[in-house]
Amino acid sequence: MPARDVLDARLLFVTGKGGTGKTTVALALARAAAAEGRRVVLVEVDSHRPTLAAWLGIETAYTPVPAGPGLDVANVTWLDALVDWLTGIVPVQRIVRLILTNRMVHLFLDVTPGSREVVLLARIEALLHQYDQVVVDLPATGHAVSLLRVPQQSASLFPTGPLRRTLDGLVVLLARPDTQVVLAALPEEMVVNETIETWQKIAGFRPPLALPLVVLNQALSPDPDPRWREQVRRLAALQPEGPAGEVLRAGLWEAEREEITAEALRRLAREVRARVVVVPLLDTLADPLERVGQVEARLVEALAETSA
Amino acid sequence: MIPPDPIDLLLERRVIVCVGSGGVGKTSTAAALGLEAARRGRKVLVLTIDPARRLADALGLRATGNDVCRVAVPGAPSEGALDALMLDTRATFDDLIRRLAPDEVRRAEILDNPIYRLVSDSFGSSQEYMATEKLYDVVVSGRYDLVVLDTPPVKNALEFLDAPGRLARFLDRRIVKWFLTPYDENRVFGRVLVGTSGVVFRLLGVIFGREFLADLSRFFVAFRDMYDGFRDRHEAVVRIFEDRSTAFLVVCAPNEASLDVATFFREELLARRLPLAGFVINQVHVADAGAVNVREVLRPLLADLRPARARVVLARCESAHARLRAVAAREVPVRDRIRRYASPELVHREIPVLPEPVRDLAGLDELARHLFGEREACPGAILVPGRSDPRPTA
Repeated sequence: MPARDVLDARLLFVTGKGGTGKTTVALALARAAAAEGRRVVLVEVDSHRPTLAAWLGIETAYTPVPAGPGLDVANVTWLDALVDWLTGIVPVQRIVRLILTNRMVHLFLDVTPGSREVVLLARIEALLHQYDQVVVDLPATGHAVSLLRVPQQSASLFPTGPLRRTLDGLVVLLARPDTQVVLAALPEEMVVNETIETWQKIAGFRPPLALPLVVLNQALSPDPDPRWREQVRRLAALQPEGPAGEVLRAGLWEAEREEITAEALRRLAREVRARVVVVPLLDTLADPLERVGQVEARLVEALAETSA
Repeated sequence: MIPPDPIDLLLERRVIVCVGSGGVGKTSTAAALGLEAARRGRKVLVLTIDPARRLADALGLRATGNDVCRVAVPGAPSEGALDALMLDTRATFDDLIRRLAPDEVRRAEILDNPIYRLVSDSFGSSQEYMATEKLYDVVVSGRYDLVVLDTPPVKNALEFLDAPGRLARFLDRRIVKWFLTPYDENRVFGRVLVGTSGVVFRLLGVIFGREFLADLSRFFVAFRDMYDGFRDRHEAVVRIFEDRSTAFLVVCAPNEASLDVATFFREELLARRLPLAGFVINQVHVADAGAVNVREVLRPLLADLRPARARVVLARCESAHARLRAVAAREVPVRDRIRRYASPELVHREIPVLPEPVRDLAGLDELARHLFGEREACPGAILVPGRSDPRPTA
């Protein structure tokens, strides 16, 4: 599946180990798709501390709010998603209220495996009716994989009933070729390990879930001439004092960054069947939106190369 | 007399819980604390959470399940030892059931129950809950002087702190009774239930399917008279958390998102009167030298390089240093805000970004040196070591 498709995907899940820049990637992809004329909604899942709100300087809510041309954002909270889902099944508001105000029901939902994830995913599916593309900024990988696994996993528990029908719908949705997962990663060894593990888990999904793209953030493409790295290393080993020391340590860090980027690319190429796009170390712009803009430009450029 | 440094006192506790957002070096910090404590003659267990095998990576271990691995610590006295354990959520849950179930039959009944299997594998908070369960287990075993718990990366601090309560609520007598009622004494599902509960229960039957409710009832039946055991353990875990021999250490990185999480943890810990031990800020970039004329300061060192080569090295170092300064400048306000939380009783450590991620004992050793301040020269550290240790001054 060509990586170019991520901009055409109907449903895009973005995840990655903590600190790998997945929210940046999610927003960059959403903006890129919107810039091509699609109506896009970027969704945070049950976020208690919505990052997007702070970045965009707007109040995000369960109901999508505009965040730019063609782009809305929403924070899909569990209780609101539950009300929506129940309303779809039990059209009488009075009964929905009766269910929701019952303490036992809350306990019940708390203990029912996957019920939380199912209503969240059901809301995400519902958003597909209003938008050309839904981009989901998922929680960090461990939790994201269990969330995506829920429809398949809990189906056996519910042989009949509306919940089962929702689950069946979600299984079909996740298996569609235009439902895709994008992983954010860093060239650091442990992050690469987790990226490979996540890829293996998702590649093992039956029915399959498409994962066409890994975005390698804060990478430094290696200078083909390795000599500068050796020279910097030799000089840094002298441990000069003062400013010279600081400058050389900065240089050494970037030399190491080039090497771990090369190693990350080798390992990902060997173990992950997905396109890897390198987003170079940015000059750390203070404004997160400027960073998003740079990542967006880089992704658009890289994805265009694939389709050419 | 100089008062003892809070970080030295930290190692004398019985439990250290490392909390914070993901990707900030929580696992490495936990392992480095364990390493140093072992060197000081304590028997230490570092307990971490399985999915990404973080600790295994850091310690170069390759173990599965709930097996304890002994880590060789060069230079540790004979009474000191460092063990590492990666939590296997499912195995821990199974162990718990084996311990609490009254007999063999019931044990099998629960372990084979489809709802149990799903809950123990992928229940929203199973990982968090089982981390605390395992913590209780090893603390009570008395085999260790110190247990360092590396918590799962959770978005919301409450999720971790509330995990033990969740299963206790799950097995709340009232809900169990409520679910068991329609099935008691072989009554059929359609029996008359009175009032709101009856209506709601029937609705749940419609929504989730009767089969599920029947399974759930069997599940609760299987757990009958084990509730006290769960509740007692929950209360015991809470007592461990609240105990003064426990310390919660907030680990973060100098960026806004991580600061938010750290701030939230601090508030939560204070509000719940849980023992906050302080802050470790990892991955700090410091550029002290200011606007350096890179050519000038490096020229003497580059004398033996051919001019073309020297130019390449200069250009790269120049851009690297500019980038370092930009990053460092951006981190200053975040570090200042964390410093405002500092007090003489609290740990406050800023750890420089290390040239390579911690992935073996040598890396942990370097991290421990930064944490505990016995710093000989640390070759390759990105910054001037002296600056990485701004203890609260007043």
